[in-house]
Amino acid sequence: MAPALMLVQEAAPVAVGSGSNAFLEGLVAALGESLPLWALWLGAAVTGVAIVIGLISLIAMFSVWLERKVAGHIQCRYGPMYVGWHGWLQSIADGVKLLLKEDMIPRDADRLLFMLAPALVLSAIVAAMAAYPLAPGVFFADLDLGVFFVIAMSSMTTIGVVMAGWASNSKWTVFGAMREAAQVVAYEIPLGVALLVPVMVAGTLNLREASELQSDWYGMGWFMFKNPFMLPAFVLYFIAALAETKRAPFDLPEAESELVAGFMTEYSGIRWSFFFMEEYAAMFLMSALAAVFFLGGFESPLTWAAGEFFGRELFVAGVNGATELNLQAIPYHAVAGLTLLLKTFAGIFLMMWLRWTLPRVRVDQVMTMGYKYLTPLALVCALGAALWEAGKQALLG
Amino acid sequence: MDFQGILDRLTAIRAPGLVASDEPRQADPKDKKDKGRAGDPFVIVDAQQLAEFVRACRDDDRLHFEQLVDLTATDPSKDAAELWINVQLLSLKFRHRLAIKALLPKTAASLPSLVPVHRASQWHERECAEMFGIRFVGHPDPRNILLPDDWAGHPLRKDYEFPKEYHGISCE
Amino acid sequence: MANEVTKTMPPNTRLLRTDASEVTVDIRTPDLEINFGPQHPATHGVMRVLMRTDGELVTGAQPHLGYLHRCAEKIGENVEWLQYLPYTDRYDYLASMNNNLGYSLAVEALLGVEIPRRATLIRIICAELNRIGSHLVAFGTYGLDIGAFTPFLYCFREREWMMSLFEKICGARLTYSYIRIGGVFNDAPPGWFEEVARFCDVFERKWPEYVDLLLVNQIYVKRTANVGVISREMALDFGLSGTMLRGSGIDWDLRRDMPYMCYGEIWRDGAYKIPLAKGEMGALGDCWDRSWVRVMEMMESIRIVRWCLDHMVDGPVIGELPKSLKVPAGEAYVGIENPRGELGHYIVSDGGKVAVRTRVRGPSFSNLAVLEDILPGSLVGDAVAIIGSTDIVVGETDR
Repeated sequence: MAPALMLVQEAAPVAVGSGSNAFLEGLVAALGESLPLWALWLGAAVTGVAIVIGLISLIAMFSVWLERKVAGHIQCRYGPMYVGWHGWLQSIADGVKLLLKEDMIPRDADRLLFMLAPALVLSAIVAAMAAYPLAPGVFFADLDLGVFFVIAMSSMTTIGVVMAGWASNSKWTVFGAMREAAQVVAYEIPLGVALLVPVMVAGTLNLREASELQSDWYGMGWFMFKNPFMLPAFVLYFIAALAETKRAPFDLPEAESELVAGFMTEYSGIRWSFFFMEEYAAMFLMSALAAVFFLGGFESPLTWAAGEFFGRELFVAGVNGATELNLQAIPYHAVAGLTLLLKTFAGIFLMMWLRWTLPRVRVDQVMTMGYKYLTPLALVCALGAALWEAGKQALLG
Repeated sequence: MDFQGILDRLTAIRAPGLVASDEPRQADPKDKKDKGRAGDPFVIVDAQQLAEFVRACRDDDRLHFEQLVDLTATDPSKDAAELWINVQLLSLKFRHRLAIKALLPKTAASLPSLVPVHRASQWHERECAEMFGIRFVGHPDPRNILLPDDWAGHPLRKDYEFPKEYHGISCE
Repeated sequence: MANEVTKTMPPNTRLLRTDASEVTVDIRTPDLEINFGPQHPATHGVMRVLMRTDGELVTGAQPHLGYLHRCAEKIGENVEWLQYLPYTDRYDYLASMNNNLGYSLAVEALLGVEIPRRATLIRIICAELNRIGSHLVAFGTYGLDIGAFTPFLYCFREREWMMSLFEKICGARLTYSYIRIGGVFNDAPPGWFEEVARFCDVFERKWPEYVDLLLVNQIYVKRTANVGVISREMALDFGLSGTMLRGSGIDWDLRRDMPYMCYGEIWRDGAYKIPLAKGEMGALGDCWDRSWVRVMEMMESIRIVRWCLDHMVDGPVIGELPKSLKVPAGEAYVGIENPRGELGHYIVSDGGKVAVRTRVRGPSFSNLAVLEDILPGSLVGDAVAIIGSTDIVVGETDR
């Protein structure tokens, strides 16, 4: 049968979070004797959350620095140059400044919602981040519904944005919030449908498994090359992802020349930086999804070579049957992780490039594009890919 | 068309309100006090018929003053009994200008608005009204434009006295 | 508390904080009245447009001016002729050279002083360079309004050079007071003309970047074409001038049609053309046409500068003027082609050291009046595009 049906059959009974975490289980098996089980689980959970938050901050800081450098070089200037080598500490300096800023809440704002909104936005994106696989064998949560989870969580941020816009009690912020809501609703559909194309080919929603499926052809068996409908789907996905992450040319919710700063107008200091971090984390996640489902995930010829040379299994059965950490495979996992990171940042770079080149589209044009062009095109792509796969299976067995 | 030609045409079509014309001249050597006059020639028009005059200038097919470039007023001196209304017309078709002056008594500074003829005069009239205290009868939106709504006095009149303070802000 | 609030509010107002039972909530949604400015990134200074919006649709607009009113006309009646010159810098601060020129020409019309040829040519070079700079800002910030940041900095890259050229000739970068009554303040430093020629060459190479990056960008075209259409009749009726007129397809340029200085001579030499919008991308007179005219005019200015460099003569740069300047009695109106349109100076003298009246007819003031008519019916994003396309400098509307 067509893989689409297999997908439904396999994925439906699996609930979020029930996926097996081989890394954690391996860790438990390796260290289980020296520590009580609950301490191990708790420690792993706390470490995991800390790592995710740390990772997000790191990604956001690096992306901000990168954005400023990219913008600078596109605009015939240098960008930050003074704090550290080529200003690499600039983001940290900015972070300290934002932390030290006065925490201001407008008098007529809805205090509770106003304070809750940035937290909601950030926690949603932190949760979404949990599905990001660091390496083939190292991840926070090996979710069978990975894609679904990431998209669901990153659309949660919209609620936070609408909340922020409403709670600020300012006309500009309400404008921004309404634009965000309309835009995300319009672009969620093409985004999901475009992503369905590789998911259909892969037959899994799991990010790690999808990546593994692309390891043939010496690490070049990317989904992108496996189906003629994949390239248009990728373009559609990328456009929809730009809109989803509020990046130019779809940065209408915060259009600074129209709405001052949109939903963020009344925010300042660390609360404002939460929205900022969310934007970069969302960019990262959207690019990561693109990298995993279109651009081969961990796989590249280098990854393949490292896997051949060092071995792929992080946990192997030891001499007396116990699971052991296979230190030899670590270079392979490092190379794989870096490959994915590189592909992700390539996507981010492309987003930045577009932002500093293109003007902003108008609100009605955004809607027209989403509903009239992207959605039907994405559906055509999905249909075409499904037929192609079905035909391939019928012909090749 | 030069000024003389425009003037002839205005006389020929009996432009409403045309009173006189004034052209620059050299100082009269016999009269010590006469300094002459430099600058542009202009026509003097009855203020109450200014709008009709401008309309005639616009509609006449040989004058064709389709643009009102500027409308302003002048207070020649503190003792003068009259304000001047200065209008600059421009014909894009025939590439000529016309300066119009209308005299308006300070005691009854009121004249019909030019907005029905040229929308361009809308904001100029508002500025004129607040700066000189001239009332443009029939103006669609007679609010202050540059000055605050509660500003007292008309700053460009020569007898204007600078306020000592404005809403508790000292102006000295 | 709630009682006091509800009393002062108009009916059908919805309160966001409903902590008292008296507050009534009406389900009808009145149009949103929104203050566009005075502190807003897209008002190019401090202007306020009171907009009434129904969702994203603008249903009414009322510009409020006067936030930058600095009493230029009143000052003109209180300072001597030459002392007023620095004030002219400050109304259209993006084209100070042109303002200096307009005022100087108006005073000279009364004075009847002869301007040396070299001074005239330097004046034209400065005025045209400043026109380029002004159009660069206009086009760059228009890109900002539309949401493109990078073209703005590309424009400022060239403007920077233009400003350093002015710094070399008069010491100031923004408020020059260089063009004086009777000529220009001083002669150009050695090598200045060569550098201007080099600037022209480089600018000519850089200019296609603006066109490719922004002007013909599809998103830009979609944002500006058919937006804020000003018909020919409307443009004439509202007394629009300069790029706004040419953007509406009216072939009019004071430099060519009512020549002052030696613009007529340059025109007869065929050194420059007047770019005229043809409505290529949409209706004639839309925002795209206006920005197109500005971009094209930059190149024409370069040609005028080149002509002046080729025809430069030696000689004095300022005419014979008495130390204490007294202007003959009379009145004169002189309009010149500023980057934004016709800058008119109406000057009345009674033969003394101080003007009786210094009227400044700022082009932005007249160009802005059209907003009330073209804003309603557009979207909020369009409103920004329309305001940007009128290329106002608030310093000039308020003077």
